[in-house]
Order: sequence, then C-alpha cells, then structure tokens
Amino acid sequence: MSTEIVGGAAVAPPASPRSGRAARLRQLAPFLPAGFILIGLFFVPLALMFVFSFWSTDVNLDVLPVWTLENYVNFFENPGYVRTLLKTMLMGAGVTLACLVGAFAVAYFLARYVSRRWARFALLLIIVPFWTSYLLRVYSWQAILGEHGALNQVLMALGVISEPSFLFVYNDVGTFIVLVYVYVPFAALVLYSSLERFDFTQVTAAQDLGANSLRAFRHVLLPQIRPGIITACIFVFIPILGEFLTPSMVGGASGLLIANLVANFFKNALIPEGAAIGFMIAVIVLILLIAFRRYLRVEDVYARG
Amino acid sequence: MSDGSAAPAIELVDVMKRYGEAVALDGLSLQIQAGEFFCLLGPSGCGKTTTLNLIGGFVPLTSGELRIEGRRVNDLPPHKRNVNTVFQNYALFPHMTVAENVAFGLRMEGLPASDIGRRVDEYLELVDLAGFHDRYPGQLSGGQAQRVALARALAKRPAVLLLDEPLGALDLKLRKQMQVELSRIHRQVGTTFVFVTHDQEEALSMATRIAVMAGGRIRQIGSPREIYQRPVDRFVADFIGESNFLGGELRNDGPGPIFRLREGTELPVVPGFGSTRTTGPATLMVRPESVAVGPIAPTGPAPMAVIAGRAANVAFMGNHTRITVKTDAGVLVSIRFHESGKGAAEEEMVDREVHVWWDPRESTIVAAGDEPDVGEETGGG
Repeated sequence: MSTEIVGGAAVAPPASPRSGRAARLRQLAPFLPAGFILIGLFFVPLALMFVFSFWSTDVNLDVLPVWTLENYVNFFENPGYVRTLLKTMLMGAGVTLACLVGAFAVAYFLARYVSRRWARFALLLIIVPFWTSYLLRVYSWQAILGEHGALNQVLMALGVISEPSFLFVYNDVGTFIVLVYVYVPFAALVLYSSLERFDFTQVTAAQDLGANSLRAFRHVLLPQIRPGIITACIFVFIPILGEFLTPSMVGGASGLLIANLVANFFKNALIPEGAAIGFMIAVIVLILLIAFRRYLRVEDVYARG
Repeated sequence: MSDGSAAPAIELVDVMKRYGEAVALDGLSLQIQAGEFFCLLGPSGCGKTTTLNLIGGFVPLTSGELRIEGRRVNDLPPHKRNVNTVFQNYALFPHMTVAENVAFGLRMEGLPASDIGRRVDEYLELVDLAGFHDRYPGQLSGGQAQRVALARALAKRPAVLLLDEPLGALDLKLRKQMQVELSRIHRQVGTTFVFVTHDQEEALSMATRIAVMAGGRIRQIGSPREIYQRPVDRFVADFIGESNFLGGELRNDGPGPIFRLREGTELPVVPGFGSTRTTGPATLMVRPESVAVGPIAPTGPAPMAVIAGRAANVAFMGNHTRITVKTDAGVLVSIRFHESGKGAAEEEMVDREVHVWWDPRESTIVAAGDEPDVGEETGGG
C-alpha cells in the first residue's frame, strides 16, 4: 500500500487536473495518522473546553448547555484567583530566569571547554533523572526539604538552626526550588545545542577588534544564540503554567499555582469554571507561541538526548 | 610613543612559553621592523602559531619580554594592543553584514558614525569589495570572506597585522591570487604584516623576511633568497624547496676547501658558504635546478663539481623535466626548466652513463653531518 503511494506520487505524469489532484491527495495520506491524533486528542478537547467554559451548572452540579459569561466574570471578580494567576506567571518567569542562568553556565562550559564526546556524556547524565518518574523525584525533594529532611538535618548538625525550618518547604520557595530542578535540563539541552553551533573564535575576534568580554558577549554571542534562549524560555515557562503536582506536594497551602486551581474546580465537579481557567491558560500559551514563533526550535529539545 | 618611531614594530626577548611540561617556545628572540612582511614558517607544532598568539595577546607568555613599538605589552589584553588579527577561519560575524563586520572594531573604539562609514568604504575598496556592504558572510565566497576579514582588521589601522594561515582554507588557484593581493595590500597600507604559514611557497612569494621555526626555536632568519639559497642546516634546506644532500667530509688541506664524498670523489666548494667549520664530516646541499645532467661535463675556466652516474629515470613534468641519477654517492635529482625554442632530448639518457655537475657557488654546506634534531612538539601549530 505504502509503496504504491510513494511510487504513484513519484512517477505521476503531469496529466489532467483531476489526476493531479488525486496525486496530491495521495501525497497527503502519510499525514493522516498524525492529523487524526492532533484533531482527536487536541483540537476536539480544546473545542469542548471552550464550549464548556461558557456553560453553567445546576444545583446538582450537572452541566447545562445554558450560555453565560459568568465563569470568566467570577474568575476576575475573585482577587484570590487573579493573584494566583499573576503569581504563577511570576513564578514561571523566576524559574525560567534561574534555569537560564544555571543552564547557560553549564552549556557554555560544555560547549567551549569540553570535547564534544564528553559534553554529550555530561548531557546524558543531566537527562538521566528523567528516566525515573516525576512523582518519585518530587517525593525525593519532599524528603530533602521536609521537616526531618536532609537539608534540615545538615543545618541542625552544623548548628545553623536549632529546630527544623520550614523555610524551604510547603511554600513558594519549595515550589521554586523543585521547579528549577525539574526544568534546568530542558534549558541546558536547548542552550547547549545553540552554543555547540557557535564558533568561539568569533569571541576572540571581537576581543581582538577592541571589545571587552561583556561587549563580545552582547554583540557577538548573544544575538547568535537568541533563538536558543527564547526556545529555552518557552519550554520552561509554558509547562509551569500547567504545573500542579510540584506545588501540591512541596508548595503547601500558600504555594499553590493556577493549575492547582483548575484541578480543584474539576475535583469539585465545577467543570465550566475549571474549563474557563484552562482556556485562559491555553490562550496565554498561544499568544506566547505566536509572538516567538520565529525563534522556536523544537528540534533542539526533542531531537537529541 | 616618543621612542616608538625608532623601535622595532615587534620585539621578542628570550620569550619562553610552556603548556604544563611541554615547551612551546624555547627562548625566542626576534625583531620585526616597521613595514616588514614577516613570515613565521615551520611545520605544525613548531611554535609559529604560539608566537602569533603571544603577540596578539591571546595567550600569556611564561617568561621573557614582548614589546610592540617599543612598549612592553606582556600583560596587556588583546584589545589594548595596537595589533589586529586575521584568523585562520576568518571568524566573521555571521549575523552582521559585511559593512557591520568591518565597522565592528571601529564601533568598539567609539568613533563617530560618519567616520566609521567613511572608513568602511575606504577599506572595502582597498580589498576590492566596494559595493558588498549589505551582503552577509554566508553569501560570500571563501576569497571574499578572506578579504572582509582583512578589511575588518586593517580598518582599525593597527601597527601590526597578524595573519594566521589566512590562505589555508582556499583552493590552490585562489591562494595564488590572494598571495598577489596580499602583497599589493601590504605595499598600499605599509602596515607591518606578521604572517604564519606552513606553506614554503607562500612564504617565499610574499615575505620580505622569513623566520624558519622548529621545536619552539628559530632555525634561521633571512630574506626568502637567503633562506632558499643558503640554508643554515639540513632542516631548513629540507623544509624549503627540494634538495639533494651528499654526505662526506670537508677538507682544507689543499689550495682551496674540498668536499670529499664517501666513495672518494672530490668536489670543489666555496669557502664561507653555509657552515662556518672548515674541516670534518659534513653534508653538502645542492638544489635540483642547479644540477645539470649530460653525457660529459663541460670543461671551463671555473672548476665544476662533477659526479659520474647513471640516469635512472627521466620524467616529463610539463614545464620542466625531472631527471633522477644514481651515483655511488647516492641519488641526485636534477630539474631542467624548458626554454622556448629548445627541443630537449633528455628521455634518451635513461639507463645511460651520465655526469651530473654544478657550479660550486650553487652548493652549500649544511649542518655538519648530523641529522636534524627536530622533535615533535605539543601545543602551538
């Protein structure tokens, strides 16, 4: 079947318009499975969510097809919800920045001073934790940061504190630490693949031409790895908008993010309200992707490792 | 700057460079005068690139002193030396246009925009790329990229321009064109050029002076002619051009110095050519184009150096013919360049008894019998 398609497309003579169209349709055939998956698992649910977000529920929490803007209005009239959304964005920005700085240091070192073979090996080590379940890793962090966790025991043994501190867990700090840990490898992979392509003699040349290190970085290196930096930002920031596991386990009551809100609505069968927030997140993501589409390099994240 | 006019453009005094245990430069002393087209020539690992990097300020020296225009610059970073570099791979900035590339160094200097524009025009014209302002490096050929790199470095009007094997990435034809171009540009701007290459032909064709390097040391400094015609040792003779070497003994017990081959033939030599020693085991060097081959050696007023042998091979090479002669002293190669109007019949000599001869003034005594002591070095290039 498939050979027939390929062969037919390859040798199709430029005949009548009708057979030309048939050939073009046959060329599209290989995209059908991906198309079905995209439509069935992405566009349809998104459309359902969009529709649900404008419906209401009755006292029995059954969804009624009664059109209303109430779900959105409620959200913006509740300062707690809005604050959670803003905090999530802020958390995303902060984690993204921390990931960028940390990942850049690692990637720069690997790309400039380490042979390609060992750099690849080091990147592999960075990815290894991803072979264990996310849940396990967050549990581990709970064990590290928790009341009787490793961090507190070390600090107490050193005499820095006398009682277990909750400074690092069950609040925004805990969420921040764990999210940075989770997303740094993504940023490191993307930045490394940008820096790997960069010819570092250009930095030497810039210095030769009178630039100090900072200006060489700003005028020569930075513009050339900008796509990598933006890709890294997007790949860290966007998933954080949907993070609910980490905040619920190490964030405590105060460290919750917007996705926890969505999860709570659904848990309480308030489907339209949850759908409304979910749809707003989707719109934010869409806006970001459209704004930066020129720079995105998806293959940097998934085509290696 | 007051004493700058009299001082050499570059002066290295007993410069050492070590990478860990490995010695890259071993007590290098060197003076390069203003306006020279100076070439550092040697095989990879000889320390020539290290020397260039030291002058450019990209690697620190271990000991010794480095002066540029009379000023000690040992500890100055690259951008504070009045020196610019053309890199081996050009290192053009791919995200900037040709004009922006050339302007980069001037912008870093803080020149006003109008001056920058004028200088960019001037130097693009110098390298024959007027009108290429808005191209990107990705749209240039290798030769054009090379010219942009040259314009970018020269636009800074440095006291010294360093060139690190700049023609290495070009194909043969382009390389020959660029050799002519580089010579023209050097004459036009009058800047001191210091050029690193492992290609002896490049060095001979462009340099005003050549330093032949090996094992972190300078073997010989001189004009291309001196280096080619009077190499001081076997290494230099071998590295530059093709040579015939004959082992024997230098004797001075007759009316003039004589070079006695191992099998007994005595060849006249000119005193004072090559090694300063007058007697003892030695190696005689003569270039193939100085060696003539024929059935009988000519007799003339001046005594010729003559060896009998048998023509083993005659190869027609286009513009010259290459004749290999086996003698008791070893194999000698003779090259005869074809002259117009002369139909040579060297092919007939194959397997015949012949004589090879040369004017004693064409031969030189090189390093006394011993083999060159060139060790493989790490670091540099």
